[in-house]
Amino acid sequence: MTAPFRTIGQPVSKIDGVELVTGRARYTADLQFPGTLQAVARRAGFAAGLLHRLDVEEARRSPGVVLVLTPADLPGPNLIGILPPFDQPLLAGPEIRHEGDSLALVVAETQDQAEAAASLIVAEIEPFPPLLDPEEAMRPEARKIHPNGNLTFAKQLLKGDVEAGFSLAEVIVEDTYRTSVQDHAYLEPEAVLAVPESDGRLTVYASCQSPFHLRGHIAANTGLPASRVKVVQPFVGGSFGGKDDAVTEMGSLAGAAALKLGRPVRIVHSRRDSFLGSHARHAAIIHLKTGALRDGTIVARQAEILLDGGAYASESPFVVMKALIHVAGPYKIPHLRVDCRAVYTNKRQAGAMRGFGVPQVTFASESQIDALARELSFDPWELRRRNALTVGEANATGQVFQESVGLIQTLELVKVEGEWPACWEKAHAGSNPRFKRGVGLAAMMQGISNGAEGVDVVGASVQVSQDGSVLVGLGLTELGQGSRTAMAQIAAEILGVRLEKISVRQVDTDTVHDSGPTVASRTTTVGGKAVWMAAQAVRTSLLEMAGLMFKAPAEAIELGEDLAYLRENQEAQIPLAQVATAAYWTGFPLMNLAFSRAPDAQYDHETHQGQIYIAYNYGAHLMEVEVDTWTGKVRVLRHLASHDVGKVINPLGVEGQVEGAALMGLGFAHLEEVLQENGKVRNANFADYQIPSFAERLPTRFLAVEEATPNGPFGAKGIGEPPLAGTAAAFANAVSDALGISFTRLPITPQRILEALEG
Amino acid sequence: MSEINTRGSTSGGTDFKSVPIAFRLNGRPVSACIDGGLRALDLLREGFGLTGVKEGCGRGECGACTILLDGRPVNACLLLAAKLEGCEVLTIEGMASPDGTLHPLQAAFLKAGAVQCGFCTPGMVLAAKSLLDARPNPNEEEIARALSGNFCRCTGYTKIIKAVHLAAEEMRR
Ligand code: FES
Ligand code: FES
Repeated sequence: MTAPFRTIGQPVSKIDGVELVTGRARYTADLQFPGTLQAVARRAGFAAGLLHRLDVEEARRSPGVVLVLTPADLPGPNLIGILPPFDQPLLAGPEIRHEGDSLALVVAETQDQAEAAASLIVAEIEPFPPLLDPEEAMRPEARKIHPNGNLTFAKQLLKGDVEAGFSLAEVIVEDTYRTSVQDHAYLEPEAVLAVPESDGRLTVYASCQSPFHLRGHIAANTGLPASRVKVVQPFVGGSFGGKDDAVTEMGSLAGAAALKLGRPVRIVHSRRDSFLGSHARHAAIIHLKTGALRDGTIVARQAEILLDGGAYASESPFVVMKALIHVAGPYKIPHLRVDCRAVYTNKRQAGAMRGFGVPQVTFASESQIDALARELSFDPWELRRRNALTVGEANATGQVFQESVGLIQTLELVKVEGEWPACWEKAHAGSNPRFKRGVGLAAMMQGISNGAEGVDVVGASVQVSQDGSVLVGLGLTELGQGSRTAMAQIAAEILGVRLEKISVRQVDTDTVHDSGPTVASRTTTVGGKAVWMAAQAVRTSLLEMAGLMFKAPAEAIELGEDLAYLRENQEAQIPLAQVATAAYWTGFPLMNLAFSRAPDAQYDHETHQGQIYIAYNYGAHLMEVEVDTWTGKVRVLRHLASHDVGKVINPLGVEGQVEGAALMGLGFAHLEEVLQENGKVRNANFADYQIPSFAERLPTRFLAVEEATPNGPFGAKGIGEPPLAGTAAAFANAVSDALGISFTRLPITPQRILEALEG
Repeated sequence: MSEINTRGSTSGGTDFKSVPIAFRLNGRPVSACIDGGLRALDLLREGFGLTGVKEGCGRGECGACTILLDGRPVNACLLLAAKLEGCEVLTIEGMASPDGTLHPLQAAFLKAGAVQCGFCTPGMVLAAKSLLDARPNPNEEEIARALSGNFCRCTGYTKIIKAVHLAAEEMRR
């Protein structure tokens, strides 16, 4: 393509936006099929124990009830998970591993009837003292939550010689950092609707993130071949990593019930169900030690990371990998040793959540960089700059990039725009005894796409009709992040059609190649590449056809504004619809199924040294806060968020991702914590679990850096996750700076601020 | 006339208590026979198919179910359907003109990028309409306060405020 671009880089409104603002967009719970039944799971209610007896007789006789599904009624293995061997039963028993374990599914004519009947189920459970502390769960004498013990997954990263590194160090800082459980709190609770079809197939509509993952588990657990299961993703009201496992469980149960009854079965979580029965962010305990020379050069870092995975493994193995690789931060540290483990506890299970381990370790790492700066009497910005990764330098896994490492540019931008260090001097110039100001910095990086987490393939289709309109299909999902719009922009750019001519259909597992999960900020990068490839193939057909029509070589032709025209004589034009019609009648293919595969990760599995991610997003944040020392309330006065995104495809979409992730980062650092007492969630609602509201909105200003990567379409790298970690770390450093107290635990709530001030 | 008794179904329940009600819905007169305990949310979604009314919490904590009742925003999840009697009810489905032209607020939400997953959008747009009908030129704080009962987990809120400003400007023209 020749620059300048027509639609890439332009602020574009969502192509599915009209449906969303008119209420026409249908989410899973909005779908209607005749004869639909409602289902509710009966949950264990104990964090740990042994189920001795489950009596569902009274529930079966309750008005409106048509089925009570128990483990004996499930035709499949009654197991789900991410990595085999799977460890999470759909319906639990006899071992109870957390409060939210489902014991039985009640299916009734109405929701009220299903709920009433669920409460009639008698579950005789012998409670055990729950294992709630991950450190305690690791003791050899601890009760085993799963047969193989309480260690879910452990990995080590070794680079250089960490002992030798520390022996060189002139200054060493060391501390333990803790983060808490954060709920996804998407506004749309999880929902599924399973519809048995007349041809013996099963369709499951699901508010999900990874339809192919669902399809596999539903097939296995209902005993159907995967090819007889179709998963369709309607509009989804937010996911942030959360709508994988919980929805897999719901889809499998609803599917089993629907097949048994020959009627559609729907499960819609209440907000409480969502808090109890879905996956949340891993709480972490991070012990971190960093050694440096007096001139500020970091020479060694050692970390032990313990992630609380809750009752089941879910995505724990991959979160372990990501935390392992990212705890070194965006710095060139020659000597590293990292041990990262996830453990089982009798708590709500942890899984994927926006950032995927990176927010936890970035908070620890960036807090320690500030501690090191204090110890060295060094400017914290200079310290980051001095150790910042650049092109040609080895990162934590020894990987060296020759392009697309924009960290220093992001640091420079926040310095210039934030007027560092003058802003710091100013913040500390006042002497108001009540309101204290502080400025916090953070630098970070986040690997894009699956990397070490598995093969990275995405399927896409592009189809041009004879009228010149375009249909795009992709195996990754739209979750509100605007991926449909970004994919439309990519296709529009290559095919030279206006955006209005493009439709991007909802994901349906019948129509695209299994593309794995929609995670890891990979949609724009790897998914966009697949659309790019499919569109290029169809473009070739159009150019060749136009060449025949112009009697000119294909290279002499350009496409744009729904026209084909000669580069040298732009007055010579043919409407694209005519070219497409002629191409059809001449027999040129107008549809292409492309398959993009990111370069495989290649690394040593013992040391995690090697090529792991196809690219990294780099970022620098600056935040200024004012803390009210009487109430512990924090006001964010300024927030600069700079990220190297490779190439901005849609400024409006990128800003939206940055602002949304930033506010979720503020929630993580300041407000949100799932409280579990004795293994029971105490704040399973929006009154007691506080997500940021209008009052907490941030004055985030996004500063783009565009260091293109060859692995993304037009050079783009994902941006959905990274700002969360940067914001949280900058917030912690800003509050610590304001009060002169090092906070080592998130969230830093007003309550914890007051406690710290009281000493 | 719709017959609605209990959540999740338009038929087959027990304990059927029939209360006739009549009200105006998105500009048209409607009537229904309902169970006295039915929530307005369920009547609108299941009885009238207005699924733009969303349920995010069912406890009056998120604002996703916001409708306008005689011009005032209320949470349909906490409201008994019987209370709709004699009222003028507006849902998101009634915001655009009959010819499909978007209300300036709807257009502004799109233009400003104030919509991501869209689940909060119907409630936000309606709460904002109520504000703009009463105060055509609100400042940022007034907008934030008027919408404070509505959560959004996707956008970070700033673009929503921008959208309301944009729409206010457009509507004052
Ligand atoms: S659903 Fe009514 S306020 Fe949340
Ligand atoms: S756009 Fe998703 S909750 Fe607001």
